[in-house]
Amino acid sequence: MLGRRGTLKFLAGPPLVWLALFFLLPLFLIAAFSFRAGSGAIGPSDPWAPSVEQYQEVLGTPAFMRLLGVSVLVAVGVAGFATLLAYPVAYFLTFRAGSHASLYLTLLLVPFAVSYLLRVMAWKLMLGPEGGINSLLGSLGLTEEPIGLLLYSRPAVIITLVYVWIPFAALPIYAAMQRIDRNHLEAAADLGAGPWARFWRVTVPLSLPGALATFFMVFIPTVGEYVTPSLVGGTDGIMYGNIIQGFFTRSANWPMGSAMAMIMLGLTLTLVVVALRVVDLRRVAA
Amino acid sequence: MRVPVARHHTAFVLLASLALILAACGSSAQSSGPTATTAASEASESEPASAAAEPNELLVLDWSGYEADDFWTDFKAANPDTEVAFEFGDTDANILALMQGGSQADIFHFYTGWQQFYVDEGLVQEIDTSKLANWDKVPDRYQELGQIDGKQYFVPWDWGFTSILYNTEQVDEVTSWDALFNEEYAGHVSMWNDGPGAVAVSSYVNGWDETALTEDQLAQIEADWIAQKSLNAFYWSGEYTDLCPAVQDGTVWVAYAWQGCYATALAAGDPVAYANPEEGRNSWVGLYGISSDTDSYELALEFLDLKLAELSCGNAVTLFYYGCANGDVMAAIEDPVLIEAFGINDPSILESTNFTPLVTEEQREAWTGMWERVQAE
Repeated sequence: MLGRRGTLKFLAGPPLVWLALFFLLPLFLIAAFSFRAGSGAIGPSDPWAPSVEQYQEVLGTPAFMRLLGVSVLVAVGVAGFATLLAYPVAYFLTFRAGSHASLYLTLLLVPFAVSYLLRVMAWKLMLGPEGGINSLLGSLGLTEEPIGLLLYSRPAVIITLVYVWIPFAALPIYAAMQRIDRNHLEAAADLGAGPWARFWRVTVPLSLPGALATFFMVFIPTVGEYVTPSLVGGTDGIMYGNIIQGFFTRSANWPMGSAMAMIMLGLTLTLVVVALRVVDLRRVAA
Repeated sequence: MRVPVARHHTAFVLLASLALILAACGSSAQSSGPTATTAASEASESEPASAAAEPNELLVLDWSGYEADDFWTDFKAANPDTEVAFEFGDTDANILALMQGGSQADIFHFYTGWQQFYVDEGLVQEIDTSKLANWDKVPDRYQELGQIDGKQYFVPWDWGFTSILYNTEQVDEVTSWDALFNEEYAGHVSMWNDGPGAVAVSSYVNGWDETALTEDQLAQIEADWIAQKSLNAFYWSGEYTDLCPAVQDGTVWVAYAWQGCYATALAAGDPVAYANPEEGRNSWVGLYGISSDTDSYELALEFLDLKLAELSCGNAVTLFYYGCANGDVMAAIEDPVLIEAFGINDPSILESTNFTPLVTEEQREAWTGMWERVQAE
C-alpha cells in the first residue's frame, strides 16, 4: 500500500515530469536562446556568450512595441467579446436548460470536434468576396458589390477569434454558476428582490470569478495568436505573434524570435498579476 | 459566503495558470528541439550508407505543391513500395532554418542564392553524379550552379521566372515592377512574404545592384515597402494555397508571382497575364541537396536521378510551366504557349533577365530583419 506521500508522488509525478520536459525545458531553451547574439537557428554545440543584444533590438524598434500594444488591445477586445457572449450561454445552461443541460453542453462542444484550422478556414470562406455573408447581403439587395473589408482585416481576425473562443469561454462561467448556492437566490427573493435584482446582486457577483477566469483564458493565448491573423488578417491584421513566427521561420533568426517571445510572456504575466491585484475577487464576490 | 468564494478564487487561479501555460506553449512551440549541426569537415568526409542497410523511406523538405505525384512520377513507378513523405517550407530562409533546426529530411529543395550556407554549415553532402543516369542531360551551366569549391553538392532541377501576374480585366498592361506600388490597385495587390524578394523588386525598380546596397538604400527600400503595405490584401506564403485561389476569385489583381500560379489560372480560363517588366524578370533555379545526416543516401540519389527523368521533368514543364534541368525535355518543347512562357524564341530574354545572386549572411540578416519590421508597421 502506498502511503499518503507515496500516493501523491505516484499521482503528481508523471504530469510533473511531462510538464518539466515539454514546458519548462523548452521555455528555458527559449529564454537561453533570447540571450544570444547574432541570428540563425541554434544547436546545443554552438558557443554561447550571454548577450542582451536581441532585447535591445526588440525594445529599440518602435514598430515591434507598437504591434505588441495593438496585439494586447486586440486580445482585450476578443476576450471581452467572447466573455460577454459566452455569459448568456452559461446562464442558459445553468438556470434555464433544466434536464437538457447535458445535451446542450455537448452541442456547445461539438465545434471542438472540428480542427481549429478548419474552423478558421470556414470563416475565410464566409468572409470572402463570394462567401456567405457577401452573398446574403447581395441577395437582400443591401450591397451591389462584395464588401472587400470583411476579409483580410483586423475586424476579421477579431470576429473569427471570438467565434473560436466562445464554446471554450462558456465553460468556466458555467462551472462558476453551477457552484452558486441556490439558497442565496431564494433568500434574495424572500427579501423582495425581483429577477433583475437577483441577477445583478447575486448571480453576477458570484459568477464574476468565472467570468474573469474566462477573460484571462482567452486574453492570454490571444496575445500571441498568429494562425488566425495569417489566414484572415491580411496585411492589416498582422499581430505580434506573426512577427515571432517570422523570425523563427522566414528569417531564420531564433534569438530574435526568442527575445520577442520572452518579452511577450513577461508583459502578459505582468498584466495578469496587475489585474489580479486590482480586481480583488474576494471583495467583488462578497 | 466566504468558503465558496475561496473555491471560486482557487479555481480561477488554476484556470488562469492553465491558460498561461497554454499561451506559453503556443509561443514557444515553434522552436522544435535543436540538434547539432554537423561540421562541414565531417560532411565532406562522411561515407554514404550502403543501400542494403537503408530504410525504404524518404522525407523530402520541399515547397507546397511539389509533393504532387506528377513531380516525381518516375521514382514512384520504380519504387512503388517506398514511402515518400514531405514536409514544407515557404521561403528559402524557412527551408534553411528548418535544416539548421534539425529537420530529419533526407532531401531538401531551395533556390539559387542560398547554396553557400548549406555547405558552410555542413548540412549537405556531396552528390555522386556517377550514379545519376540522367546527369549528362543537365546542361553544364546548370550543373555549375550546384557546385561549391569545385564539388557537386546540389542537383539543379526546376527553373523559371518571377514576375508580375495580373488580372487583364482589372489592370492595364503591366510594364514595370512598380505596378506592385500602384495605389490604383489598393487592396488587390499581393506580395510574397519574403524579405530578399522585396529587396530584389526594389533594386529592379530603382536600378540598384542588390548585392551592393548601401544603408541608405536599404532604409529607402524599407520605407517604400512600409508605404506599400496597405495596398496588399495579404502577403502570400503558399503559391497554390494562398495566391492562386485569391487570383482566381478576383481578390488579387496584381501579384509578385511564379509561373506555376500563372499556368494554373491560365489553364482555368481566368483573365491573367504574366508581365515582361522593362527592368527584366527575375530568374531562379531550384536545387536539391542530400542531407549530411541522411540514412538513405542511395535512395535519395535515385530520387533525384528520377526527378531528372523525362516524365517527371516533362510534367514540371507541361503541367506547371516550370523549366526543368533536363536539356532534352526543354529541347523537345513544341507548344507555342510554353515557348512563349520560357522565352525560348526570344534570344534577348537572358540579357534582360535578373539572375538571383548569392546572398551573404549579413545580407540575409539585414533583409529578413527589414521585412519583419515592414510587417510590424
